[in-house]
Amino acid sequence: MNKFLLSKKLYRNELATFYSFLIGFLIAIIVGSIILLIQSKNPFDVFSLMLKLSIGSLNSLSNSLNKAIPLILAGLGIAIINSVKLWNIGAEGQIFFGAIALNFVYINTSIENSYLYIFLLLASGFIGGSVCILLPALSKVLFGVNEIITTLLTNYIVFGLTIYLINGVWKDPNSLNFPAAAYVSESVYLPTVFGKLSSGFLICILFTLIAYYIKDKSVFGYEMRIAGGSALTAIYAGISAKQKAFIAMLIGGGFAGLAGAIELLSQTHRVSTGISQGFGYTAIIVAAITGMRPLGIFLVGSLFGALAIGGSVIQTIGVSSYISDIIQATTLFGALIAQFFFSYEIKRVKDD
Amino acid sequence: MIDIQFLGLVNATLQAATLLFIAALGELIAEKSGVLNLGVEGMISIGAVSGFITAINTENLFLSIIVGIVSASLFSSIHAFVTVILKQDQTVSGLILTILGLSLSSLIGKKYVGKKLNTKLEGVFDIENPSNILEIILAQNIIFYIAIILMIVTAFVLKRTMFGRRIEAIGEDLKSADSMGLKIGKTQFIATCVGGAFAGLSGVYLTLSYVPYWTDGMTSGRGWIALALVIFGGWKPYRTAFGALLFGFLEALGPRLQTYGFEMSPYIVKITPYVITILVLIVLTILKNGNTGAPKNIGIPFFRENR
Repeated sequence: MNKFLLSKKLYRNELATFYSFLIGFLIAIIVGSIILLIQSKNPFDVFSLMLKLSIGSLNSLSNSLNKAIPLILAGLGIAIINSVKLWNIGAEGQIFFGAIALNFVYINTSIENSYLYIFLLLASGFIGGSVCILLPALSKVLFGVNEIITTLLTNYIVFGLTIYLINGVWKDPNSLNFPAAAYVSESVYLPTVFGKLSSGFLICILFTLIAYYIKDKSVFGYEMRIAGGSALTAIYAGISAKQKAFIAMLIGGGFAGLAGAIELLSQTHRVSTGISQGFGYTAIIVAAITGMRPLGIFLVGSLFGALAIGGSVIQTIGVSSYISDIIQATTLFGALIAQFFFSYEIKRVKDD
Repeated sequence: MIDIQFLGLVNATLQAATLLFIAALGELIAEKSGVLNLGVEGMISIGAVSGFITAINTENLFLSIIVGIVSASLFSSIHAFVTVILKQDQTVSGLILTILGLSLSSLIGKKYVGKKLNTKLEGVFDIENPSNILEIILAQNIIFYIAIILMIVTAFVLKRTMFGRRIEAIGEDLKSADSMGLKIGKTQFIATCVGGAFAGLSGVYLTLSYVPYWTDGMTSGRGWIALALVIFGGWKPYRTAFGALLFGFLEALGPRLQTYGFEMSPYIVKITPYVITILVLIVLTILKNGNTGAPKNIGIPFFRENR
């Protein structure tokens, strides 16, 4: 009789995560094609149209990169928090709360110098994101409450709060059919770099490098890895695991909050339900698929930004935009399957 | 005479509790075997949409229930395959199952948004105008009774049968379970798919009875509240049922606060269940001093080193 035995590979290919991603993406494209075929659409036509309208021109390329900003920033935040082996499922709420905090500060202050003002508003977005994760973070480090559930439920609370604000105290009387807060002044819009590309993308590049430094190069990053690795090692090394976890969560939440602030100052220009279209959830896929590597998050985030733009434009030919969500999720499932073959060896042995 | 508002509250509590409880019970079974499945929200959504589409097209409610259960169970087998057989991270896989489930059900259900169901699950006993609590309970539909049966059966199977003891052994101590020769992969795979089937039933309840229509994102976080319920119930079926009644009561109470004389914005009322769920989780964890009674191997993929 033949038996199959699994063994862990001693050496794992350094580029395994990258190859897994490519394989996952291929699987996702195949699955997407099948779904399109079922809907009697030609996959080749749809995908080439998506490609053309997401990266085919300078205009569409800048749209794609703008869309990538919140995915990358929120993904980086998730990755930083994952350094201590914790999960942030609340990026969606933190994005909204960043925008809410920004608007709160904007309403209550006035600064002549618009660059200084923009800086203050972006900072309040970052802090807003940190505030948003405060309760899950405190309850995690103080009492050990499962952070996955608390951060996720916070999303629903913040979204409800957003709807409450834009239908109540912040409601713009000029916005009749679509409830939203009043627009911010044009003087605090984020300037564009070229074409439509927002300077938020430059901030995004800067924060990718910051996240890379924090995670992989700084002492704090090293301490975070130890704190997340083994409780005993952390104690021997004199590292307070709880303190590291707490700080990591605040920083990570801040990254997502900053994404909300940038989204408001460069895209929506006001608080509305359009601040995020599920960016916080897509960011989880982006972070997980890259094995929580900041530079990878930057690249995959950019690709998924293009996918999201592609998904929204193909609606005009009657294809559901959900197809790009499905491709994103399936990519990760495909990558997980591929990961298995990079980490394990299957041996067939004779059983006698 | 008990006033009509109160009876309405009881009725809404039972319905909200049924929905939450079935999904939570399924997750409980999966987690008992050591498989954490964060895809509950997605599985409920898949069950809800497939059941609804079947009901619209065939008007056969029995068939719709079966289709909802089977499709959610098949859907959960993705998670079982990736985590049990391929030993990948359960948190990642479960989260993606939710995202995939929500987008897939939105895609499938797109043509059915706004359509109204002509048939609805009727109460098991034909009671016109229930006038006391007993009659309210008797007027519930078949899935409510299935939920009660599932509760009793699950509690019995987990505690009193060989299969249940095996699940528990695997969830608590993988090494011993392995040396006893238990089929770990097979048991975990089955437990995960049973969990998916339960979530599917919960989803069918959502679209065939609770709110008889389909819209995107209509599960609105109930899958996550179900996950919190499992923790609340300390991985015990009866205690989870009690938790479901409590959470169901809170969900039902919200929109009725005004009639009891509390002035509250309807937008704020909508977020109270989530706030309360978080607060309950915190209080509970403090009371139990961080030891919630979770199965020890939850989230850890089983891998027997080659010998």
